[in-house]
Amino acid sequence: MAHTSVIDALEAADVTHVLGIPDNTSGPLFDALGRHPSIRLVIVTREGEAFAMASGLWLGGARPLVVVQNTGLLEAGDALRGTAVRMGAPIPIVITGRGYPKMRAAGLGPETPKTPELMTRPDVDSVALVTEPTLDAWGIPFEVCATGDDPAAAVAALVHRALHRECPCALLVTTDLV
Amino acid sequence: MLSRSEFLEPLARHRTNEVVVTTMSVTRPWGRLSDHDLDFASADSAMGHTADLALGIALARPDRRVVCLNGDGSMLMTLGTLATAAASGAENYLLVVVENGTYEITGHQPIPGAGRLDFTAMARGAGFRAVHRFDRADAWAEAVPELLRAPGPTFASAIVERTGEGPISRTTREEARYLRASLADWSRTLRAALRNS
Repeated sequence: MAHTSVIDALEAADVTHVLGIPDNTSGPLFDALGRHPSIRLVIVTREGEAFAMASGLWLGGARPLVVVQNTGLLEAGDALRGTAVRMGAPIPIVITGRGYPKMRAAGLGPETPKTPELMTRPDVDSVALVTEPTLDAWGIPFEVCATGDDPAAAVAALVHRALHRECPCALLVTTDLV
Repeated sequence: MLSRSEFLEPLARHRTNEVVVTTMSVTRPWGRLSDHDLDFASADSAMGHTADLALGIALARPDRRVVCLNGDGSMLMTLGTLATAAASGAENYLLVVVENGTYEITGHQPIPGAGRLDFTAMARGAGFRAVHRFDRADAWAEAVPELLRAPGPTFASAIVERTGEGPISRTTREEARYLRASLADWSRTLRAALRNS
């Protein structure tokens, strides 16, 4: 993607603030947003902070979007549950998916039973195994944006879905953003 | 040291159209002093995430002062927000940490570092524009009008007595109106109040 097309989608969806912590996938998007004339980028210190701040922004009438890696999503569990979910705040969440190439290369998927042996295997990044089951458990509706999908269209649909359902919704990006 | 009423009453007296976000031990006492759609209780919510939630409101509405009454244990859970708030440059943001050295509503267990922590040093180090500490009621009462006016981000620490506030719920049995509604319903009350003002 061209991250410019994702930014076009954010502009078209009237997103006012993007909050989160960059990773190698989302870094170029953060770089571009840092130069954007109207969408305000807020880099936070911990992912839970992004969900609480985004919920506050929504209370104030803004339209925020959160960008975090799946590792940070796990760290932020109660912040997400206790703010956006409990408030019914329509926060779109873009989750960059660490560990998916390794998981696929090992012939595994989110549905694979999580045995202690599997979770300690050195050739598997366990975060990919637990991301989708965690979103299910937390009641966060999500779609996956994989190789061949259009990230800009997926982000546009994500914002629409969150607003329509009046709850936080996620887009799990398992391919490169750029 | 301030009593709970010495801390809250000057704020209630001088408050006009500010958003006031409360959590933990001041939630009920503030709700007894104030019945305003611009009050928001961070209760039945995410523990430790009041200062950041309030900062979000402040960033969304730079025309409106946002006052966050945070707990000291709550502040410790998200110290990074001090850096985020200072970096945001939100001039309308006033963060007050109510220091009683304990997790009061669970029975006064001491917070880590109680008696040795210096929240004002942390706020100053994080880059807050203005930092204050209050341990006398008269100084606090005198400062409140200016704290509600001066450009921030502003940080204040208030040394407040321990009381006996128990666990906070959101039920119709609560006296404070903002605790009788669900978090989702009151969120819409605050949104509407901000939209219409």
